[in-house]
Amino acid sequence: MAPNTRTILICSGKGGVGKTTLTANLGIALAKQGVRTVVLDADFGLRNLDLLLGLENRIVYTAQEVLEESCRLEQALVKHKQEPNLALLPAGNPRMLEWLKPDDMQRIVEMLREIFEYVLIDCPAGVEDGFKNAVSATKEAIVITTPEVSAVRDADRVIGLLNTQGIKPIQLVLNRVRPKMIASQEMLAVDDVTDILALPLLGLVLEDEQVIVSTNRGEPLTLSGSNSPAARCYSNIARRLQGENIPLIDPAKEEQGLRAKVRRLMQTKIF
Amino acid sequence: MKHLERKSIALPLKKDDDWRKVLKIKLNALKPGLIEIDCRDWQFNCRDIYKLASLLNESGCKLLSIQSDIPETIVSAAALGYQTQLAKNYNEGIAQQVDRNLPGKSSANTLFHKGTLRSGDHLKAEGDVLLLGDVNPGAKISAGGNVMVWGRLRGVAHAGKEGNNNARIIALQLRPLQLRIADVIARGPEEKPEPGLAEEAKLQEGRILIEPANPQNLQK
Repeated sequence: MAPNTRTILICSGKGGVGKTTLTANLGIALAKQGVRTVVLDADFGLRNLDLLLGLENRIVYTAQEVLEESCRLEQALVKHKQEPNLALLPAGNPRMLEWLKPDDMQRIVEMLREIFEYVLIDCPAGVEDGFKNAVSATKEAIVITTPEVSAVRDADRVIGLLNTQGIKPIQLVLNRVRPKMIASQEMLAVDDVTDILALPLLGLVLEDEQVIVSTNRGEPLTLSGSNSPAARCYSNIARRLQGENIPLIDPAKEEQGLRAKVRRLMQTKIF
Repeated sequence: MKHLERKSIALPLKKDDDWRKVLKIKLNALKPGLIEIDCRDWQFNCRDIYKLASLLNESGCKLLSIQSDIPETIVSAAALGYQTQLAKNYNEGIAQQVDRNLPGKSSANTLFHKGTLRSGDHLKAEGDVLLLGDVNPGAKISAGGNVMVWGRLRGVAHAGKEGNNNARIIALQLRPLQLRIADVIARGPEEKPEPGLAEEAKLQEGRILIEPANPQNLQK
């Protein structure tokens, strides 16, 4: 039994900003630190957390069977191949959405809290029933957004809803940051986003093509210990969650090396 | 650097005595330091607060923060960059204020709300509304009377929604998406306002006009 279990909801409002990718990478990174972690897919309508973790073909039972008591929780949990500290509780079939109530979600999470130290809940997009069910079972939240006005707007709405449910603390992850575009003022700067959302920043994740590759392979970036920019960002977020004090990356300093120097020289008006 | 002591002075109530007289007496009894002033029920505009601060300076003190029962005083002080705190009996203060200034009209119904309005939120009030917090893009605040935002207004604000043409919208930072007064609608200004300058919007000749805030105007 783990007494100090942290239950964290990972949500964004808007779809496609990186909730599931963050959940998978954070799960692996925490497990690597030796923490017993479970990721719960609360997106019953469109589940794909199992895909990202490469566990799709190992699913036998789902949360649905656990709730119906036609199997034990241990049978439904899918252990990760390489990281035994990480387990996945798969979402049931989409029909579950019709009958799943906040109580059911709370029951599942309560069972998971008995076994694990971290329960990460991958929230569905939107603010409808699926979101409400997921919120009812959680204590903390991580809101993920990208530096785009639409994503920031939706995140703002979600934060308002989380506040009314008494979720605390709520932390922010800013995904798909492109230092170049911020430098040329084509993208919202980090300050612009935190200014509106007024949340403590848990981390930035740099834009990285490797994320797409890893998604398609079903191997989260943090798994291979790769040194790609996004992998480093995800590991740092996991370590900050554990209470380590790691400074945030500064997008302005990410652009170093010869090419950046030349570009900066061309932008300064000496000539 | 020498650590300055923090002291607080309370001004007399408006009906009891003149604040300038009492302040001078109280200051004489104090050593130089940082001062918090409780303005009680005095309604100060920016000039009054500037005067207050210079009186303190003359006796070697520095104005640190302003406390008051009157929201307009708070807005003026915040516009000048002082720390501010609305007193706990703000409701009484506001009620008295409205009674005095709008005889016979929907009195004593200023809605007070603390906290940021996030996208999708809508704060509605029958009378005036005072918000301590920001109005984020996508959020809406509307009132039958004046809309006062002690924070950044970046969403939509509607004052005088029942058709009151004299209603005003006032905010520490006025950067709205859209402003509405009575049944007139205007898009927010494109350029960013100067920081630290409170602004207000009013209706003039059928158009919405933005100018530096003057809390005194709210009395009209």
